[in-house]
This record gives sequence, C-alpha cells and structure tokens, in this order.
Amino acid sequence: MRELVFALAFIATPALAQVTADTANPLAGKADAIEAGHALFGKMNCAGCHAYDLTGGMGPDLTDNSWQYGGKPGEIYRTIAEGTPRGMPGWKDKMTVDEIWQVVTYIQSKKQ
Amino acid sequence: MRRILLITTLLCGAAFPAMSAGNGKNSAASAGGSFTGATANLAPGDAPGQWTRQSRDYANTRYSPLTQINKQNISRLRIAWTFSDGQMYGHEGAPLVVGDTMYLVTPFPNIAYALDLSKAGAPIKWVFQPNPDPRAMGEACCDKVLRGWAYADGKLIYNLLDDHTVAVDAQTGKEVWRVKLDDVTNGTTMTQSAFTVGDKVYVGSSGGELGTNGWFQALDVKDGHTVWKAFTNGPDEGMLIGPGFKPFYAWMVGKDLGVSTWPGEMWKQGASAPWGFVSYDPDRNEIYYGTSNPGPRTPSQRPGLNLWSSAVFARDANTGAAKWAYQFTPHDEWDYDGINENVLIEIPWKGARRKVMVHFNRNGFAYTIDRITGEVLVANQFGHQNWASKVDLSTGMPVVNDAAHPIVEKKVENICPPDIGVKNWNPSAFSPRTGLLYAGIFNTCMDLTNHIVKYIPGSPYDGMEMVRKAGPGGNWGEFIAWDPVAGKRVWSLKEDMMTWSGVVVTGSDLVFYGTLDGWFRAVDARSGKVLWSQKVGSAIMSQPIAFLGPDKREYIAVYTGVGGGASVNRRVNGFPPGGNTLYVFSVDGAGIGSGTTQLRTDAKVGAPLSVPPAAAHN
Repeated sequence: MRELVFALAFIATPALAQVTADTANPLAGKADAIEAGHALFGKMNCAGCHAYDLTGGMGPDLTDNSWQYGGKPGEIYRTIAEGTPRGMPGWKDKMTVDEIWQVVTYIQSKKQ
Repeated sequence: MRRILLITTLLCGAAFPAMSAGNGKNSAASAGGSFTGATANLAPGDAPGQWTRQSRDYANTRYSPLTQINKQNISRLRIAWTFSDGQMYGHEGAPLVVGDTMYLVTPFPNIAYALDLSKAGAPIKWVFQPNPDPRAMGEACCDKVLRGWAYADGKLIYNLLDDHTVAVDAQTGKEVWRVKLDDVTNGTTMTQSAFTVGDKVYVGSSGGELGTNGWFQALDVKDGHTVWKAFTNGPDEGMLIGPGFKPFYAWMVGKDLGVSTWPGEMWKQGASAPWGFVSYDPDRNEIYYGTSNPGPRTPSQRPGLNLWSSAVFARDANTGAAKWAYQFTPHDEWDYDGINENVLIEIPWKGARRKVMVHFNRNGFAYTIDRITGEVLVANQFGHQNWASKVDLSTGMPVVNDAAHPIVEKKVENICPPDIGVKNWNPSAFSPRTGLLYAGIFNTCMDLTNHIVKYIPGSPYDGMEMVRKAGPGGNWGEFIAWDPVAGKRVWSLKEDMMTWSGVVVTGSDLVFYGTLDGWFRAVDARSGKVLWSQKVGSAIMSQPIAFLGPDKREYIAVYTGVGGGASVNRRVNGFPPGGNTLYVFSVDGAGIGSGTTQLRTDAKVGAPLSVPPAAAHN
C-alpha cells in the first residue's frame, strides 16, 4: 500500500527534472495543501529565515511580490528544491516533491 | 514619526536613579574633573593620531586623546572626503589608520582596501579580493556583516564569512596566509572582529541562531596555525577548563557543567558562539570575551542553566586556560547574548581601587565586574526592561519576573527587551577624563510566541516568533552616559530609531555617534548637549574613529551603510536605503589636496594586484 501511495504521488506530481519555470502548481489553491505547507514552513525551519509571517529576516520577504529567482510556481519550486547561489540551501534531499509543492502553495497563499 | 531629540538630565527616578546629590563629584565634573574617579590602562599606548585596532586600545575604551577638534570649532566640522566601496550589506567596522594608510574591509565578499592618506583624494593603494564561498551568505543570521579587522606584524588580519581567517601583507595587499576554521554548511559563519595581541590573533565563531557548536581560538600571527582552541559548551577538556578555573559563584562550580546543564547531548547544538569584541589586560595577560544565546532559542526544549551560553570568560592569553566565567542570563529564554564588549577600567570601590570590566548586556543590566575574581559589584538597569526585577548580588542570579516566561504556541505580550536586547554588539566608549561610559541603546519590547523546532544542520534552530515594537515613550533608541561605579545614568538623548552605533570619545570631551536614520552627531561628554549633527547617506551602525592625517590634522571617520540587525526598524518611517560610504570629517572640510584648484587623484603607486569590482557583488 505504501508503495502504491508513493507511486501515485510520483505520477501526480512531476519530479524536479520535469519542473520548469512554467510548470503549474498541481496543488494550487487547495486548502489542505496550504495547511500542510504552513506546517512544513515551521517544521523545516523555513520560518527561521523568512519569518513566521513570511515577511523576511535572515532571508527575503516572500509576500512582497519581489522575486530574485522568479515568482512563478515552478520557479519557487525550483528555488526551494535547488537552493540559490546566494546561500539558500536546497531542500530536494530533505523534502518530497509533494511537500515542496505544499510549501509553494502556502507561500502563494500569502502573496500580497 | 516626529523627531525626538530631547536631553534628559536625570535628577531622580526609580528606574534609572541618577547620581546622588552632594557627593561632591558633580561640581568637580562640570569643572572638568572626573564624575567617578574611574581610569583605564590605555595600553598598548599607540601614538595619539593612530587607530590600529577596532577598540583603539586593549581595554576597549575607544578613547582618542586628540583635541584639535573641540567644542570651540565643532560647529565647523565638514566633510573632507568620502569613499564608497560598492557593497550593500551592513557596514559595522571601524577604519584602521596605521602610519599614512587607512585600511577598510567590506561586508561580504570581504574586500579589503588600503587608502593612501598622504595623497589628494586618499587613492587606493591596493585591493584584496578573497572571494569567500557564497554559500556562507545563507548561513549568516543577521546580514553578511563583518564587525572589524585587525593589524599586526605588518599584516591586515580579518575573518571571512565562510569560516576562514586571512592575513594580507599591509604594504602590498598580497595574501600571506589563509586558514579554514569551520564548515559553513553546518551553520557556522565568522563575522567577529579579529583581535591581536603580540604574536596571536584571537577569533571566534558566529551562528547562535543555527545550532552551531561555538568556539574561540588563538591563531599565530605569522602563519595562522591554531595555538589554542576553546569550545564554549561541552566537556571541560574541550573548553580548556582545568584546576585554575575559579568562578566566583558556587552555581558555576562543578565538573563538565557545559554538558550536565543541558538535556542529553543538546550542548552539541548549544551555540554559545563568541562573536563579539575581545579585551586584554596586559598586567594579568588575560583576555575576556562573551558567548551568545543558547540553541535552540526555544527554552522549553533545553531545561537547565545551559552553561556556558550568555556568559563571559576570562582566559590566560597564552594558553587559553579558563580563569573564571560568569553567566549573565542563566537558561536564557529571550536570546540575550552575552557577547557585548567588556570595557576594562579601574574604579574606586569602598576605599580601594578595583580592576573591573564594564559590560552593557543585551538583558538591560550594566554589570561592573571584578575582572580578577568574577564578582559582580554592580548590576543596574541601564535601559527599559521588564524580564527581571533585579540581579541578586549575593548569588549573581537575576530575579526573573513570572510574566516574562515564553510559552510554546501562545503569545506572551510585552516582554522587554526583545531578542535584540537593550543594547547589541555596537561598542560603547569610556573617557578617562569624565570617568563615564557612553553607549547607543534601544528602547524596545516584543510580543513573543515560541515554537518547538528541530535541528536541521545549516538551518535556523530558532523558534521565536516576535512582533517587536518601541518601548515606553515611542522612541526606539537612546544614547546614554553611564556612571559605572554608582550604576546610574548621568544623561541621555532620545532617538527615533534604535541607536545601533559604536562610539568614540575624545580628549576634548566630544562624543561621536550615529543614528539609523543617518545622522552623525557630536555631543558634549559632560552635559549631553548636542553640538553638531550631519546627515549622511545611509544609517550609521558602525564605529567612528578619530585620527591624525599625515598633515597632522585631526579627522573623524565613520562608515555608513544600513543592514545587520538594524533591519528590525526597516518598517519605521525614515529608515534609509543601503549604503557603503566612508565619511571623513575635518574642521572646514580641509585636508590634503582640498582647495579651489582642479584636483586630481594621485594614484601613481604602481600597478595594482587587483582592481576594485565594477559593480556590487550582491
């Protein structure tokens, strides 16, 4: 069963290599994804850099519509997964594809 | 916000009691004598016009004996020249002046400049670009800053954000050595100002918010090899705690307290990073430095005293052997680091002279501590706080107010100060003429909600969700004069934003400091009267200096450029954009090459080893 769920998740959400800047967020607007992304934002220490209200601190403000590495869902996904040249670590080895999309969904829900 | 600039000469008051009337010192002080009788050893006794270390002297007084710029001509102080370095992160260091050369180092990517003060326009002699690992940028809690640099044995020595210390030939700008001291991927960075004494350079790690394992090292000035290394948590052996370690208070006596005062092995992520300034007593051959908050910042996850976080250490300068320590904030619940500077002075105390250190802690208490024994003589409130009713001098323990304890997943309102403290790393100054210390401080509070966090290497180990706000009165900042013997304010100035500036005080009783909204001020050290203010391009959150140029003229210099922890104020009206300009002032703006003719920059100093970057590196 576990394998089946994983396989379904894999089919439902493209792997990193397939995520491009123009990839649509498969979880866009889903309330349960926003809630899960919110929990992950704290659990994975995202809030330590970007603040619990996402307005930034050690890292940039995620609510101000100013994006150094692109603000489209696919671009945000790739930034989280791969990290950035200016020091944000990549999370693809610590989070699943679904989890990253959940965080993208949460961030998008907070855009001003 | 309306401009607040009020002089408050405090004659009485419960929170900040002023000097008692009739002690005979006020009248003597106003006549030019000392308010307190405090003095300092100004070793190594550099020539008056030089500024060869961030604190000017080992004692960390930041006192300049220069008197050319004085109360009679201060109104004529004007910009002589400026220098922009192109980097847009917070600028926190003090320029060094060694001979006829000024040395500057930028925030990340930590580019060093030598400027020739003997020529018109102070042209660049050389540029050194160390190219540190950019991954370090993502691990620095509080901007990509550097709080200072050091000079020794013909070398400019400083820390790189990516956990290296580098030494550069001061004449040529050529790298002499570079040593790797940690790995940025675990969250450790280096923002501390290297401090040199003799053949050693002392450096410490940063990373209090990232679950690091803090350390402090003495390196050999010649080649950078580690002479000794002391961790700030963990077993006694790794901390260089041995039989000679004698804390004054019994609760800090015991074996391996750096382990047993933590749950399990949490000391390994207990931070306690020593990222502040270092002081040195040449008579005792001892160094003094503080440690940061414990990790994680959520205290319910780490019951216990959490030694040796939020503490100060005295160590033998040659061997690193710990002599004593004192934890300012046991089991720190609010991020009250103990890293602020320790100013070494001598005071009259109950009929005798005592060798003490004065320390303005983040927690809002100013401590006057016997630096031979570690006994706290004075611990009085120097700014607004409500987390503790007092420090019990019989135990050295603060008496914590119940309402100040954070609660997981529940907002606790109006705890003062917030994590940034009543004062942060920005160093104070001491005048042996007035016997007073001068400090830029904050008036802030927070609503705090704590969260449970887990340790993920290289990410914040934090858990504090805060809404920070101005304290009573609405002003975020203040600038104070402090009596370290009586433990009282003598005067204060209110400022709109947090006063996050270092200080220089001179032999003509002028105190210089800057503000986050970009004003550079000169103040009468005795009365607190503002005598001069100049608007500059960005915030001042660095350290001003006074020096004599090759033309024997006195100059005042200060870096501008907002960033660092000062971004707490970024939503306050008037908060400036970034900057990166060094301002150099003189009477009438006069200097080498100034005048009415067509001036040119004389840069005929040979082909540079490298050239300045054409654009900012951000």
